Amino acid sequence: MPPIVRVENLVKNYYMGTQTVHVLKGLNLAFDEGDFVALMGPSGSGKSTLLNVLGCLDKPTGGSYYLGEMNVARMTDDQLSEVRSTYLGFIFQSYNLLPQYTVVENVELPLLYQGIALDERTKRRCVDLAEMVGLGDRLDHRPLQLSGGQQQRVAIARSLVNDPHLILGDEPTGNLDTKTSVEIMQMLRTLNRSGKTIIMVTHENDIAAWARRVVRLRDGRVESDTRNDARSVVEMGL
Amino acid sequence: MSLLDGHPDAFLIKVALLVGGGLLVGAVALRWALAAAGAAKLRRGVSLAFKSLWLHKLRSFLSVLGIIIGTSSVIALMAFGEGSMQDALDDIKRQGATNIIVRSVKPPDDSATSARNFVTAYGLTKRDLDRFRTFGDVVVRTVPLRVFPTEARVAERLVNARVIGTTPEYADIHKFATAGGRFLAETDDRDRKNVCVLGAEAADKLFPFEDPLGRVVQMRGFDFTVVGVLRERMGTGGTGGSQAAEEYNRDIYIPLATTVARFGKIIYVRASGSRMAEQVEYTQVTLTVDAEVDTEEGRERVKAVGGAVEAVLRAEHGPKRDWAVVIPLDKLEEAERAKRRFLTLMAMIASISLLVGGIGIMNIMLATVTERTREIGIRRALGAKQKDIVAQFLIEAVVQTTVGGLCGVVMGLGAVFAVPAAWSAMLDGGWFTGIPLPAKVHVPIVFISLGFSVAVGVLFGLYPAWRASRLDPIEALRHD
Repeated sequence: MPPIVRVENLVKNYYMGTQTVHVLKGLNLAFDEGDFVALMGPSGSGKSTLLNVLGCLDKPTGGSYYLGEMNVARMTDDQLSEVRSTYLGFIFQSYNLLPQYTVVENVELPLLYQGIALDERTKRRCVDLAEMVGLGDRLDHRPLQLSGGQQQRVAIARSLVNDPHLILGDEPTGNLDTKTSVEIMQMLRTLNRSGKTIIMVTHENDIAAWARRVVRLRDGRVESDTRNDARSVVEMGL
Repeated sequence: MSLLDGHPDAFLIKVALLVGGGLLVGAVALRWALAAAGAAKLRRGVSLAFKSLWLHKLRSFLSVLGIIIGTSSVIALMAFGEGSMQDALDDIKRQGATNIIVRSVKPPDDSATSARNFVTAYGLTKRDLDRFRTFGDVVVRTVPLRVFPTEARVAERLVNARVIGTTPEYADIHKFATAGGRFLAETDDRDRKNVCVLGAEAADKLFPFEDPLGRVVQMRGFDFTVVGVLRERMGTGGTGGSQAAEEYNRDIYIPLATTVARFGKIIYVRASGSRMAEQVEYTQVTLTVDAEVDTEEGRERVKAVGGAVEAVLRAEHGPKRDWAVVIPLDKLEEAERAKRRFLTLMAMIASISLLVGGIGIMNIMLATVTERTREIGIRRALGAKQKDIVAQFLIEAVVQTTVGGLCGVVMGLGAVFAVPAAWSAMLDGGWFTGIPLPAKVHVPIVFISLGFSVAVGVLFGLYPAWRASRLDPIEALRHD
């Protein structure tokens, strides 16, 4: 089976005045469908930039990025928007829910940009997802009425609504306490076991331990690429 | 545009075309922005716009205040302007816009002829009148009149009246009604009867306590029987040229033939110690042309007759300029031009106020875009295209200005109905003295100003919307 994500010789430079900052210096990586990857590395290592490129929010300076069969690196802004809307789900550190919308409306948001009609069926799906993440009794609450953990669960429901091929997490537990972090990670693991491919950035080893595979970056290059064996998960008592 | 020249609403039509053009551009922009979307997405966009405006009620209200004030003031001011202009036009139409008024004018003292006669003879003659009567069917009637400033007396009551000797047709020209009795009749003139018709105020002064009909009024030693009393008549404004403001309520009307028979051909005027005598056959002759003032062809005909009258007088009187021709139609056209200028000016002021309102909207929209940068980032990350962002903010701006425009229309119409009523109430209450404030809603203006405010939303929403769509999603997501 071909990998769902494949980057070849991926280069990303930023230009600051006359200075060029080389952030990604020719990465070669491939992730299989159904994988659960943690991207790690010190700040400035390029892990966030890589996530942005994988998430089609940023275009690489050079190299290629295949999402499934598509070469995303050469796409226009509109096409990238369509890829995000159709194939990707996002979970952010700061949840990024719209404060003026209710839980259900937030979950519904990605569908708004898919060009499909919103009707009872799509609404039903959003309610189902909200119930799945345990917010069935808070459908009409607004984000500010929810705790951090609850908000992140809304974000997870939102990332699933378009049935994405790939879920991208940018430190999804960064703003949460340990107990809630564990809850969120359990939820992500469940999703992964049901077949979703997840790539997340984290700088916490505890969190990275939930993933099947850990990729460490340093100075824009891959430093290490390891698989967590089943034992380490068992060691955590889960 | 030359097709429109001369059309009374030409300017408004041009404005309407401009606004229509603006709306078309807006529609195209929206269509582009919504690309493959369709009505459902638009409806959704509008409801979202209402939602986010509702979230900031006070701010939304303040930002559309300029539009509200602009729209309402346009509608109200235009209505008041139109109302008072209409008054002026009515005033002229009362004088009869199809009339041609020929007056006798006392020529300046001509020292060259050294004809220091005690009696000055000048003005329109029977000959002139006969010539006018040869114009044929195009002139419906030719009404001569003579004016004598005279004291009218009933027992000890004395009124300085203006006696007007004229024919029965005078009533047709001025379309006035009698409060009692009748106007002069054909037989009065033929038989040179000593009868008179009193103006409302003259009747009131001479007969304050009794019914004047059948009573006798003394003028220059003759007794005149009152056969009719007129209803109060509105004076004419004395705008322009040789036509002075006239007040009709003190007039006393007697048959034309009677004036010649009783008072003779000479009019004596006593003025500050000196006595002056003038011999004038007719003080004024009014010709009514058979024409419709509201058609171009009718207007041409009135002007043609006016020209013919002048030609006759020039031929008859030679170099002696003892006559003047007044064509009320000229004044009507002047007033119509003034009205058009006024409307143009109002429209310009209105556009400025709506422009200011639009800048207010743009200002708030730009602030909103900055404030909602993160929201824009989130939407972009979740798959919104640049077009979607443009559409969102454009719809928001248009919803704002449309709601503002509607509020303005309601407020403006409210002012149009409330202010004149309140003003009249205050006048009645004796708080102020003045004339009533007429108002007439100009219906096209209501739609034009509403369209204008929608167009302002499109125009001034485009730039902030475009700015919002160009934000870098990553930067936007990082924004606090």
